[in-house]
Formats: sequence, structure tokens, C-alpha cells
Amino acid sequence: MVLADLGRKLNAALAQLNAAPIVDEKVLDAMLKEICAALLESDVNVKLVASLRQKVKAKAKAALESDANKSKEANRRQIVQKVVFDELVDLVDPGVEPYKPKKGQSNVIMAVGLQGNGKTTTCTKLAVYYQKRGFKSCIVCADTFRAGAFDQTRQSATKAKIAYFGSYTETDPVSIAAQGVAKFKKERFDVIIVDTSGRHKQESELFEEMVQIGEAVQPNMTILVLDASIGQAAEAQSRAFKESADFGAIIVTKMDGHAKGGGAISAVAATKTPIIFLGVGEHLADLDRFAPQPFISKLLGMGDVQGLMEH
Amino acid sequence: FSSIFARLTGSKILSEQDLKPVLSAMKDHLMKKNVAKDIADRVCEGVGETLKGKKISGFRGIKKEVQDALATTLTRILTPKTSTDLLLSIRHKLDSAAASTSSAGRVPYSITFVGVNGVGKSTNLSKVCFWLVQNGLRVLIAACDTFRSGAVEQLRVHVRNLSMLSSKDGAATMVELYERGYGKDAAGIARDAITYAKDNGYDVVLIDTAGRMQDNEPLMRALAKLVSTNNPDKIVFVGEALVGNEAVDQLTKFDRSLKDFSTVAGGPGKGRGIDGMLVTKWDTVDDKVGAALSMTYVTGQPILFVGCGQTYTDLRQLKVDNVVKALLSD
Ligand SMILES: Nc1nc2c(ncn2[C@@H]2O[C@H](COP(=O)(O)OP(=O)(O)OP(=O)(O)O)[C@@H](O)[C@H]2O)c(=O)[nH]1
Ligand SMILES: Nc1nc2c(ncn2[C@@H]2O[C@H](COP(=O)(O)OP(=O)(O)OP(=O)(O)O)[C@@H](O)[C@H]2O)c(=O)[nH]1
Ligand SMILES: [Mg+2]
Ligand SMILES: [Mg+2]
Repeated sequence: MVLADLGRKLNAALAQLNAAPIVDEKVLDAMLKEICAALLESDVNVKLVASLRQKVKAKAKAALESDANKSKEANRRQIVQKVVFDELVDLVDPGVEPYKPKKGQSNVIMAVGLQGNGKTTTCTKLAVYYQKRGFKSCIVCADTFRAGAFDQTRQSATKAKIAYFGSYTETDPVSIAAQGVAKFKKERFDVIIVDTSGRHKQESELFEEMVQIGEAVQPNMTILVLDASIGQAAEAQSRAFKESADFGAIIVTKMDGHAKGGGAISAVAATKTPIIFLGVGEHLADLDRFAPQPFISKLLGMGDVQGLMEH
Repeated sequence: FSSIFARLTGSKILSEQDLKPVLSAMKDHLMKKNVAKDIADRVCEGVGETLKGKKISGFRGIKKEVQDALATTLTRILTPKTSTDLLLSIRHKLDSAAASTSSAGRVPYSITFVGVNGVGKSTNLSKVCFWLVQNGLRVLIAACDTFRSGAVEQLRVHVRNLSMLSSKDGAATMVELYERGYGKDAAGIARDAITYAKDNGYDVVLIDTAGRMQDNEPLMRALAKLVSTNNPDKIVFVGEALVGNEAVDQLTKFDRSLKDFSTVAGGPGKGRGIDGMLVTKWDTVDDKVGAALSMTYVTGQPILFVGCGQTYTDLRQLKVDNVVKALLSD
């Protein structure tokens, strides 16, 4: 992930800080330049990076000035490091607690997102994840648009031994979603996952359909599934999804590749919504739990960024 | 974009110092349009080279000069260096086969679609199929994604739809699916499909492959084997307009892995790489069309098609002028 990868680059940038005899504006600028370059290479939104640069600079300058000549250089470095790190942490941690499914009741989860970003695959992974933890789980295929969508759900759910619902003939996704959720609620399933078609903000009818499905199934949690490789379109698309579907969590898929997921991090920042899982492969178990705080703690514990925590 | 030029006024010879802020703003502008950072860097460097030492007068002059230089560079990168006329290429192969008297029979034209997961390979393969059928060609689709759930059925639905769209009473089947289910060797299925197409008089074979990550060596080797065994006439990389900096890594590694691993594997298609690109989901990015620039910059290969929607007719030719305009727009 971008921040993990950033650890190394950050360390190099901060090493600059350590090598400099005094921490002045020039040193600060050089360090910021490297950090921003790393963020931009990881697909973090360009405007977001610019604002991060400004914020860090303003805060670091203020901190250094208020500290004028009172501290030793080593302390001044730490002041700057802390400012940088706090801003990076802010990027990935919106400070919002996601919904937690509860046993003994029905928890409806709806997956939404752009075309091909991994919704259907992730729905099965999620069902497997919850099933393993003692939740009776199932999937409703409310994608009536994509060729072979129901076959995809049927095959992967069968492989995973997960109950599923869908139709080859019904063409109205709202009706299927409502039927499926009603059926599984009656059968007392704990986790009911509703898979929907891929869509994008430019087609308002598709967004309208998503709103209707949402109204029909009243999800406890809507999840935006986002591909780790997305670039600068991430912000506008995720904002639009937030406005229409009010998702409460993000799952970033395809993190097993080379992508750093900076677009997804920009979506976190734009929508103030936490990432809860990472998709790390095409197989059913390739799902990693993600929580901002532990991730950051782990990052802090990494040899690479150890310097940040010492003293 | 205009704000970049506010800093440049008067008449003078452009120095590196003058250009620095302009180029830096230009780079940010391109990155906002979703051009990969590395490519934005290199493009702006190139534009800087062409501008350095130029004598310019007046605010308007400078603005126009810089904008023109960027437009020229972008146009040069995006303009195909090889033919994008797929129909011509297909007809050429089929005609020359018909002209030859060899008893080997007519070998169909084959196109393989490759790319990372979920970018739109199968959907856009179906759009290309529709377009070929519209042009009177008989097409066999080879279902060589034997891994992803529903991949075969997805193509079956498309072939059913396309057959209905193209069926004429009493005429020969225009579209057919060649499939061997799941879990089988993709290279072998492609080979058998080509043989089947040849025996049954199909003009074109479209080979669908499973999505894979460019770093996944076993899967890249398997793809290279499909290529080296079957030596398709075109290897089309499918990438989405949504992709950011990954565009560079995806294309570099697909091209290199195909070339390296197919060379090791040997066979008629050894050493083959990417011949062209198909950029999908164009309809989802507004004017942030920078991925097209990143992709052409990296490969030097042409964008053969642009996918701009989810129906069979949503396939276009790239309009270089429009892309340049979108990249320059505020
Ligand atoms: N490598 C990798 N591939 C993934 C991951 N998640 C999904 N995929 C692949 O991405 C492709 C698209 O996944 P789908 O689940 O069909 O995506 P979708 O969002 O349901 O697509 P639509 O319904 O068409 O919008 C498939 O090839 C999946 O196998 C992941 O975490 N890693
Ligand atoms: N908006 C839009 N969606 C597209 C376009 N092309 C494909 N899609 C959608 O993207 C999703 C994935 O398409 P597929 O054709 O299954 O992608 P793929 O590359 O074959 O996926 P895998 O085989 O799983 O790797 C589907 O929902 C398609 O409808 C396009 O040009 N525009
Ligand atoms: Mg799906
Ligand atoms: Mg496919």
C-alpha cells in the first residue's frame, strides 16, 4: 500500500533532514518534494498532495518558529517528522468506526462500485470471511446487466459453499434484490450480501437504479469496492457514489499487484470513509482485514520508519 | 491552464529559469488529467527543450508558444506510427491466403486480448466481434479464460446476442463460441480453436484470456505460452482509462514478459510483444484522459480502439485531436 511503500521513501527523505546541519526552510522544501513525488507516483490525488504539502509546511514552520533556538537540532527534526507523519496518518484514517455485523440478527451488506473493480469476487470473499467466523452468510446477485453475472456468482458461491440467490430471467435488479433479501431474512441468515452491477457517475440512470436497490434492501452497510490501480478519477467517482449510496466502508481490491492504492486513499480522504478490507488475489481467501490504526502502528513499527518513534 | 502563463510577460528569450515554473505547472496539470507522473515529467522536459532559447514577445505570444509546443508534443506521442486499420490487415491476410495455391488452406486472422483483471477484455472483445461481423466477417470466439467464475458463460451470452443481431435466414453462422470449459490449458484451447476456425471457414478468431497481474510470473508465463504456440496476428493489450500510474508498469511488464517468456518457450510466436492497445471505460473519466497518453508513450504502439460504454456499438477509433484538446483544457 502507498503508505507502506512510502515508509522507505519517507525514511530517505527524513534522512535528508538528519544529514542537514540545520533544519531550515530549504531542507524542509527538499524533503517535502520527495514525499510529494512518492505520493504522486502512488496515484494520490494531485490536489490532495498539494494541500498536504502546504499544510505540512505551514505547521512545521509554525512549530519551528515558536521553538526558535530553544531546542537542539535533534528536537527540531522530530518536530518536523511528527508534523509529516500526522498528516500522512490523516490521509488514511478518517476516524470513523465502520459498521460491525452482529450475530443473531440480519446484517444486510450491499456492494457498489465502478465496472470490473471486483465487487462480485469480493462478495464471495466476504461471505466466506463471515461464514468462517460463525455468521450464517449468503449472497444475492442483483446484477441483471452483465453477461454471465449470475453464473459467476453461482459458480463462485458454490465453490465456497455459500448460499446464493439470483435469476436468469428476471431483469429488474430492484425486484431480485428485494426478493433475495426477504427470503434470506426469513431463513434467518446473519450476513446477507447484495452484489450489484458496475456503474459510473456519468450515467445517472445507473445511479438511480443503485439508489432504488438501496431503498429496497435497506442495507446496514454499503461498501464501495475500489480497484487499487485507479488514478485521478478516484476522487470524483467516489464522491458521487458517496452522495448517492452513502457507503460506510471501502474495500480496495487487487492489492496483490504492483499498485499502491493511492487513488483509494484519495477516496478515503474525499469521503471520510474507512477502508475495512484489502483484496489481495483472485482466490476466495485472498482478503485481508484492514483497520487504519493497527496499520499505522505497524507502519510505525517498521524498521524503515523506526526513526519516527524513537525518543 | 491559463494561470500558468500569468507569470510570463514581456518580450524575451526564454531561459531555463523562465521555463521552470511554467513546466512545473504544466506537469501538475498533466497529472491532474491522469497522466502518469513519470510520463508527465518526461513530456514536460521535452517541451522545455523545444522552448529553451526561443525568442518570444508579449504575453499572448508566450502563452501561445507554450501551448503550441505542448500540443505538438502530445499530438506526436498519440499519433499512431503503424497502421490502425485492422480490417485492411485482416483482408490482406485472407486475400493473400486465397491467392496462394498452397494446399494448407486458409488460416484465419487471430487476435488475442490481454490485460490485468477486470479492465474489459471480454466485453470489448465482443464489441470488436460485433464490428467485424458488421463488416461481413465470420468470427470464432475462443474462450481461453478457463479460470474466472462465469467467464465462459459471459462469452456464451455475448455470442448468443451477437448471433441474434447478425442472423440472416439461411445464411451461414456469423459468430460461434469455441469453449472447453474450465481448468484447461488456455494455449491448447486457442490452438484447437484456430484449427476449428480454419476447418470451418471462419475469417477471424478472437481469443479471450484471463485477467492477470503483470507481476504474477506463472500467469505471465502461461500467457506467453499461448502467444508463442499460436503466434496470433495481433496481440491487443486492454487497459482502462481509469488506471493511473500503473499504466506504465502494466504495459512495460506485459510487453517485456511476453517477449522474454515467449522467447524461452520457443515456437512460431517467440519474441512477440504488444502490438496495440484498446483503452476501455473512456466514458467514466470525463476529460481525465491521461492514461491514453501514458500508454502510447510507454509502448510507442497505437491505440486501436477506445471502449466508451457497455453496449456493442460503444467502440470508437481514437481521435487524437480530441484527446489533445481534453488534455489541454482547464
Ligand atoms: N488479482 C486480483 N484480482 C481480483 C481481485 N479482486 C477481484 N479480482 C479480479 O478482477 C476481475 C473483476 O472482478 P469482478 O468481481 O468480476 O468485478 P465486478 O466489480 O463484479 O465487475 P462488474 O460486475 O462487471 O462491475 C476478475 O478477474 C477477478 O478475478 C484481487 O484482489 N486481486
Ligand atoms: N463504462 C464502461 N464499462 C465497460 C467498458 N468496457 C467494459 N466495461 C465493463 O467492465 C466490466 C468488466 O468487463 P469484462 O469484459 O468482464 O472485463 P475483463 O477484462 O474480461 O475481466 P476479467 O476477465 O475478469 O479479467 C463489465 O461490467 C463491463 O460491462 C467501457 O468501455 N465502459
Ligand atoms: Mg460483478
Ligand atoms: Mg474476461
